Amino acid sequence: MALTRSQKRTAFATVRHAILIVWLLIVAFPIFWMVSTSFKPDREWFAWPPVYISDDSTLDNYKIVWAGQSEYTEHVQTQSLQRPWEALGNSALIAALATTLAVGFGSVLAYGVSRHNILSEGRMFQLLMLRMVPPIVVVAPISIWYAFWGLLDSVFGLVVLYFLTTLPYAVWMSKSFIDEVPREVEQAAEVLGASRWQTIWEVVLPLVRSGLVATFLFILILTWSEYLLALLLSKTEVVTLPVELSKYQGSTEGRVYGRQAALAVGITLPLILVGLIIRKHLARGFSFGMVRR
Amino acid sequence: MQGSRREVTRARGIRRFRRMVLTPMGLLIFFILTPAFLLQLYFSLNQFSIFAAGDNPGFLSYFNASEWVGFELYEAVFTDDKFGAAIIRSLLFSVGATLGCFVFGFGLALLMYRPFRGQAVYYLFFILPMLTVPIVIAYTGEMILYQNGPLNDILSRLIGTRVNVQFLYKQEIALTTIMFMEIWNWTPFSFIIMMAGLASLPKEPQEAAQILGASKLRIFWEVQLPLLRPVILLALILRFLESIAEFPKTYGLLQGGPGSATETLPVYIFLNTWQYFDISYGAALSYVTLLLMMTIVYGAIWLLRREKRNLDAIYTRRAAEGAS
Repeated sequence: MALTRSQKRTAFATVRHAILIVWLLIVAFPIFWMVSTSFKPDREWFAWPPVYISDDSTLDNYKIVWAGQSEYTEHVQTQSLQRPWEALGNSALIAALATTLAVGFGSVLAYGVSRHNILSEGRMFQLLMLRMVPPIVVVAPISIWYAFWGLLDSVFGLVVLYFLTTLPYAVWMSKSFIDEVPREVEQAAEVLGASRWQTIWEVVLPLVRSGLVATFLFILILTWSEYLLALLLSKTEVVTLPVELSKYQGSTEGRVYGRQAALAVGITLPLILVGLIIRKHLARGFSFGMVRR
Repeated sequence: MQGSRREVTRARGIRRFRRMVLTPMGLLIFFILTPAFLLQLYFSLNQFSIFAAGDNPGFLSYFNASEWVGFELYEAVFTDDKFGAAIIRSLLFSVGATLGCFVFGFGLALLMYRPFRGQAVYYLFFILPMLTVPIVIAYTGEMILYQNGPLNDILSRLIGTRVNVQFLYKQEIALTTIMFMEIWNWTPFSFIIMMAGLASLPKEPQEAAQILGASKLRIFWEVQLPLLRPVILLALILRFLESIAEFPKTYGLLQGGPGSATETLPVYIFLNTWQYFDISYGAALSYVTLLLMMTIVYGAIWLLRREKRNLDAIYTRRAAEGAS
């Protein structure tokens, strides 16, 4: 019973959809669970059998986490120790500063490498060291050094380290976009009498702008979700969102899944939006010139 | 004559540009990273004592409270069974996670790289795990995996009997559980790289092989796979290095426990330095780990460079053939 070509093709398409849908469920379930937990009242967090979609969904978790509503309205008014909005502000500020620095500086460096070879290929690969050596091996002495300069718990301290650790990706990724601009375009501009800065500013930049935006957002994802350095170098004053989230774990209140989930949704949402905007360019960030078109 | 003078000013301009760009980076490394490594060296050779430092150690009291011990701490590191165990754990974890990510990512990419209806929708969903913050995954993972959580419920329903596995709090499987969380988190990474790699493959060799009557499987093994080698290496190497450094899931969730089941290298260093406050032993551990990692990273960089040079050669040759 040989299958015809078209039958084979339909069979393949069906099997493919089946596999992909299974994976889709695996991918979607944790995200679904996070969102659904964030709407559950507290008695359903640990219920058995688990509640998948709450019948009496509530916004309480969001109100308590994000609007600062007191948890025990009838009892003593306790000021919550958690300051998610402040953490959001810190995260946004630190991520924006570090990313702007890394991409601004990285793209200039990338331009120099692409056009004038100011770093040899060997040096370009050595740059990756900054990213690939695990930060845990130097974070302790950095914290002592930072304590000396009063940089512990400061925005500046984290921005510097995020800048250094994301620089390799920023350089490599923006270089891959700059490489695509043909040199002839620049030569033509020069022949027409443009100065070097004019050439860069008015000819090259507009051509790589979308690429640089993609680089920016890619680095933003990395800095936004960084945990280790933020945990060890700024625990009390300048708390970032990932560290803030870990404060809802353990401690005296026990496990507070609903609150955690409400905060987690707030942390994840901006990142997913950013990621979906640059989904076409994501592969660039990691490919180090290995993927050509 | 005039041309050469222009060349000279041009070269000077490039040199100035180079200095301008590289100086700030050099300064940052010189003022932040170099002192840190020197301090690390100091503390790995001098035993620091938290008791001598007092309640509120200032910068100088770190030095007053430490005492020269030479290479004793390094000797201790090399005879430390827990350190050896942490290395093995880290390697198992990273190899498992890397291969897992790669197998799933490559498999999905192979199923999806040719355009079909719904491709864009699948792609959109499949990259989501990479965009969720690792620490969020850790905590959401706990909500799903704990004893009365949905995973046990779903398994129970599928099998028909009550499944009751403590995924996170059983010593034997805790590390594997975290490994699967890591795989869930980073399969999209391998997936997008392999998608891009497959999409960028030149069509002509495949068509030629097809005309010569090669089977699909043979085309895959003998034509596509060799061409994909640089991309495959890239996907494996980057993932391996990043999962060795993995911290939010192993520490954020389990702090190395239950027992020491998830004490990977970063967690072990962390516990020594920040939990037991043995800064000196942590420093010695860090230096040994650093050397270990540098070796691995240099090996990785050497491999990547070799592949990139091969690739560059192929592409310049093709460009030259195209031009002639």
